[in-house]
Amino acid sequence: MFFLKKYKKLLLVASIIFFISLIFNSLRPKKIISYTADVKPILNSKCISCHGGVKKNAGLSFLFRDEAIAVTQSGKPSIIPGSAKKSELIKRLHETDLEERMPYRKPKLSEKEIEILTKWIDQGAKWGTHWAYIAPEKQNIPKPGKSFEELNFLTNPIDHFVAVRMEDVSLFPNKPAPKNLIARRAAFDVTGLPPEKNIYNNFLENKISYEQFIDKLFDNLGYGENWASWWLDFARYADTNGFEADRTRSIWRYRDWVINALNQDKPFDEFTIEQLAGDLLPNPSVDQFIATAFHRNTMTNQEGGTDDEEYRVAAIIDRVNTTFDALQSTTMSCVQCHSHPYDPIRHKEYYEVMAFFNNTVDSDHNHNEPRLRILDEKLISKSDKILKWISNYGSKDEKKIFERFITFIDPVYYANQFEVIDKNDAYFLTSYLGFRNGGQVLLKNANSLKNRVLYFSNFVYQNGVTITFRKNSPNGRVIGKVKLDKDKSPNISTEGYDDQKVTAIKIPKIEGSFDLYISAETSEKIKKSDVLLDLEWISFLPEIPGKNKPGYPRIKKQFIELLSGTKFSDLHPVTLENPEHMSRKTFMFDRGNWMTPKEEVKPNVPSNLNGWDNKWEKNRLGFAKWITSKKNPLTARTIVNRIWYQIFGRGIVNTIEDMGTQSEPPSHPALLDWLSYEFMNSMDWSLKKLIKTILLSSTYRQSSIISKENSIKDPDNVFYARGPRLRLTAEQIRDQALFVSGLLSKKMFGPGVMPPQPDGIWESPYNGDQWVESKGEDKYRRGLYTFVKRTSPYPSMTTFDVNMREVCYVKRIPTNTPLQALVTLNDPVYLEAALAFANLHSNKPYEDAIKDMFEFATYRELSDDKLNSLINLYNDSSDFYTKSPDGLNDFYLENKKVSNKLASLAIVASAIMNLDEFLTHG
Amino acid sequence: MDNIKKLLEEKNTANAKLNSRRHFLKDCTLGLGGMALGSLLGSCFSGKESLGVSGAERLLNPLSPSAPPFLPKVKSVIYLHMVGAPSQLELFDYKPELVKLNNKPCPESLLKGKKFAFIRGVPKMLGPQAVFSKEGESGNWVSNNLPHFKKIIDEVAFLKAVHTDQFNHGPAQTFMFTGSARLGRPSLGSWVTYGLGSENANLPGFVVLTSGGAAPDAGKSVWGNGFLPSVYQGVHCRSKGDPVLYLSDPKGVNRTLKEKLIKSINDINLKEHEKFNDPEVLTRINQYEMAYKMQVSVPDVMDINNEPEYIHEMYGVKPGEESFANNCLLARKMVEKGVRFVQLYDYGWDAHGDLEATSLTAGFLKKCQMMDRPVAALILDLKQRGLLDDTLVIWGGEFGRTPMQENRIGVGNLFVGRDHQGDAFTMWMAGGGIKKGVVHGKTDELGYTGVEGRVSVHDIHATILHLLGFDHEEFTYQFQGRPFRLTDVEGRVINEILS
Repeated sequence: MFFLKKYKKLLLVASIIFFISLIFNSLRPKKIISYTADVKPILNSKCISCHGGVKKNAGLSFLFRDEAIAVTQSGKPSIIPGSAKKSELIKRLHETDLEERMPYRKPKLSEKEIEILTKWIDQGAKWGTHWAYIAPEKQNIPKPGKSFEELNFLTNPIDHFVAVRMEDVSLFPNKPAPKNLIARRAAFDVTGLPPEKNIYNNFLENKISYEQFIDKLFDNLGYGENWASWWLDFARYADTNGFEADRTRSIWRYRDWVINALNQDKPFDEFTIEQLAGDLLPNPSVDQFIATAFHRNTMTNQEGGTDDEEYRVAAIIDRVNTTFDALQSTTMSCVQCHSHPYDPIRHKEYYEVMAFFNNTVDSDHNHNEPRLRILDEKLISKSDKILKWISNYGSKDEKKIFERFITFIDPVYYANQFEVIDKNDAYFLTSYLGFRNGGQVLLKNANSLKNRVLYFSNFVYQNGVTITFRKNSPNGRVIGKVKLDKDKSPNISTEGYDDQKVTAIKIPKIEGSFDLYISAETSEKIKKSDVLLDLEWISFLPEIPGKNKPGYPRIKKQFIELLSGTKFSDLHPVTLENPEHMSRKTFMFDRGNWMTPKEEVKPNVPSNLNGWDNKWEKNRLGFAKWITSKKNPLTARTIVNRIWYQIFGRGIVNTIEDMGTQSEPPSHPALLDWLSYEFMNSMDWSLKKLIKTILLSSTYRQSSIISKENSIKDPDNVFYARGPRLRLTAEQIRDQALFVSGLLSKKMFGPGVMPPQPDGIWESPYNGDQWVESKGEDKYRRGLYTFVKRTSPYPSMTTFDVNMREVCYVKRIPTNTPLQALVTLNDPVYLEAALAFANLHSNKPYEDAIKDMFEFATYRELSDDKLNSLINLYNDSSDFYTKSPDGLNDFYLENKKVSNKLASLAIVASAIMNLDEFLTHG
Repeated sequence: MDNIKKLLEEKNTANAKLNSRRHFLKDCTLGLGGMALGSLLGSCFSGKESLGVSGAERLLNPLSPSAPPFLPKVKSVIYLHMVGAPSQLELFDYKPELVKLNNKPCPESLLKGKKFAFIRGVPKMLGPQAVFSKEGESGNWVSNNLPHFKKIIDEVAFLKAVHTDQFNHGPAQTFMFTGSARLGRPSLGSWVTYGLGSENANLPGFVVLTSGGAAPDAGKSVWGNGFLPSVYQGVHCRSKGDPVLYLSDPKGVNRTLKEKLIKSINDINLKEHEKFNDPEVLTRINQYEMAYKMQVSVPDVMDINNEPEYIHEMYGVKPGEESFANNCLLARKMVEKGVRFVQLYDYGWDAHGDLEATSLTAGFLKKCQMMDRPVAALILDLKQRGLLDDTLVIWGGEFGRTPMQENRIGVGNLFVGRDHQGDAFTMWMAGGGIKKGVVHGKTDELGYTGVEGRVSVHDIHATILHLLGFDHEEFTYQFQGRPFRLTDVEGRVINEILS
């Protein structure tokens, strides 16, 4: 009590001071200006296009604080923190001379905008960090008003976040969608197909709960197939190389790896690490090597005369851009030519990231080397024998060297690394060096690592051809020589190693790097223009150990045999790192042009994102760990946002490709961060858990009916007061047609298949590849197995917005066009499906058949008015075929004879399969 | 002028009626329910006749016409591309100096630092394989390979020093038609239809016609939509099979039955709309109706039999065949019907001289014959119909040919041919907004490089967009977070050839 009394006075004084200061403050409001919310939007829209990452007019840029307060060309700084009055920037905004006023020759900034900038400078011109560059933190789940509870809307935390935003705009959620509709919608979102009838019925009859129903969907292997299409757009997966010839590439094992990884629910961080750097993991498995084809999906140019280095660099640039498009929602491609126009990323940082990717073995080789050789049983037993021999008589390191060589034919020096000395007697063409009599080529800075055996792949066209290897000059010391006769087999196949011939010669031990000269001569009488020899690569390897052991010559011979004989479809492109002595330096490119390299850079990550942890390897593997670190602010947000987009047709950040400072602000920031944080932590990066969480929410389960009020207040469904109603994807539309008609094959995996396609679609020059219609069940496989030719994609799927997969595509733009109607009305694939569908129901009275077909296809009951419409169609059709029965001889398909009833039911089936309720997911 | 008035009117109406989805729903959906199929959407929208363009119309039909930001000079484009790159030295770029150097070894100075597709070592120079003369009032040069062209020489503006940085067919074509040598960007025609839509709702806005037996080397990407919505992709109208993929009715189904099928679909979809109130359903209803109309209008426009005999004669067409002549006539018919962009690709101009078919003295001459007459006919025909003033006609290849003879991998060919050359080649334009009978640009004495008035591929694009009423620097599309332009960060309108 005593204390209280004593302090009473003090308290009184304090409260008086408090109130006075309150009044004072209210008279002079001192709102703190936020850089990110108030200032940055003005700078981005009004200033930065002339004073930023691209142009630095008058030496001024507003991209970084140090640049903005630095001295400009005029000799003084534009911004003097703490004094707007002295700051040139503010003066220029008020200027009456139009030539002097900023923005130059543009309307004057508004009073409010000038006021914001003025106050901000007075308050010290503090910079801020864009929300997306701060890692998501654990979120408290908000409590919406009672009414949402009463509506039974609050099923899981998602609904809490969504409800509080609805409250902000006085919206109320729709009723839940009826069970039949939500079951179909969810099945498409998980498996890409309508639900199987047994689990669907169990759910309708309350034998299983909604959650159990969803679990069953995830157990279906169709889940991996459906979501693989989503990921393969980012991965720009295709079955051809792109560019002019656009020949077939055998990389389908990567597509299968994605399907498996999704079905096994491989945590997303591992999923990412294996694709970016599986080859650098300790003792990588075959699957982990296969995963690295993610970045071998870049295009390669096989046209004559193209510079392999140009297209190698283009591929590396594409890998940097794709990595940031696919995983960081960052428009990194902007930074190739200059600092980012809006986001705080410096030009140099692009090349520092590129340095992580720049040391891979591939260099636009004609056959997509290096490739993982999937050996057949015969070769495996040979390989086992040789590796066992090497283990017995050699070191562990030697075994590793030979194992790598057998598995990848690596490391080698490829023909494209050589220089031709005299263009008249030697040349480089697409993938090999050609020698005429006396022709010579040069490899600068070769390094044999003191190895004593030189291997080279060759094809010899003449008898008595002497191939000479010299050191350091055209007439230098001979380090190896061999005389070869005409090879019998055909030329080195463009398809692969099948008929590759490899020769080995002994060379002396050479210390350090040297210039290697290779020449070819013959004393036989030949024409000047005759070619003696083609050479594709050379390699230096140690001698096979166990020299004096019995059986050594056979082992040597078998080793060479082992280097060929793999089928084209068993050669899978992989990402491999160059060994140290063959590693590349990385330079900045002036204005992004590879022809004008500037200063050398070392691997590093952009400074606007999470920092580097020194325990990470300073290579691609370390980079992959950086990107999947829980401290990375963008990876989880990117994935969460894109999964959300797939399900709702709209991102929480609606610009799903970009979360930078030019992106749309998130509609539900706390929800995005809650999902992102939980995705990394409580969900352990599980995509299945993430999708399931969304699907279990009441937000998702709402009816998609658009009420009058809702259509006016929220036409774009930003606040989710109704459920999503999306058109199915190209693959889903095809798969569904085959599914309802009973034609769909359940076969998974393997090389791309070729379902029916009109004649004359593939017309690539210099390329004999043909579209050969698949037979048997391969004709009816799921859409994602359709062969993807970059310059000529499957036409009916392109019509439904599939992209051409040349580069990373983050978003398919949904369109609604007459050409789509032509596909589902007239494409023989859909006609065959409609006919098969009708056939399944043709032994019932026609009214029953129509009803059953409709209900089977749409998972809805057929209302009387719709039934009448379909019955009328049936009767019109039946009348037509009664009058002109000729149409029944070739109905829908060549030589297909059908009854009037079947034809009329097929017409009705076509109608059903073109209904909006069939083509959307409800 | 009437046309420009019309476009302006369209633009004004469009601005006035800046309709949102909501307006559309309010204005147009009331009373839809009871209407019959034929007039289902007639009250709000109809094909060519409608003047008013609204945001709502673009929702229903993304190809509905819309006016450009600036006064356009032309409303449609016919682009004649000679796939494989024709030799400027045998057609338009007369080089008497080269006659003297014929068969002499190429000076080292011309080879230093140069890369070729096939020339290796030191090739021989090759004089012009044609006789040139000055023709028309303009007195511009043309070779005897193009006798018919002489009739239209005063209509065209030549660009004699076009250059590209690509010397392989695939990338050079991709560059010529998308502004980038790598795949993935929208094509010129896609940009144009994205910006302007189509004048005829029953035909595609961007039509591609091919001849010569193969598609361009770069594949369908040269008419691809890139990152634009797929509706703006070029529609390949084919001479064999369906003119547009999946256009013809299924076997055993006639038009009446098809109409009933579509009516049934649309009736049920209308009920779906009543229930869900989703505007996308209305769009779908409209698309099915348009698909039905296209099935009639496309075969009709693709049928050249209904053209009079003198027109057949003029172009040299043979109905039922796939030929460049047929395609030229089709281009005229399409432009007449309001197709926005007609792109012709004629394969087979890669005259290396490694085969008889690619020899400048054999196969190449045949290609010239097949091209010369229909091109002249096209210009004259457009002119006599008063369409030339509203149309831009462009002729060119993806690059030019070397003044040296090609010597495949250092040896020399059996026939006479030239290798690829990106540094200088000839293109021409004719039609609305183009100065008649002018020459812009000049190459050196050998036709090896441009010495005056050099124009880049980006400049060509900027000029085409300018004539259609766009500022190429402002005409952008937002993709993956940044605005893209057809002309990337370059391009200058070639004012020298504008009237």
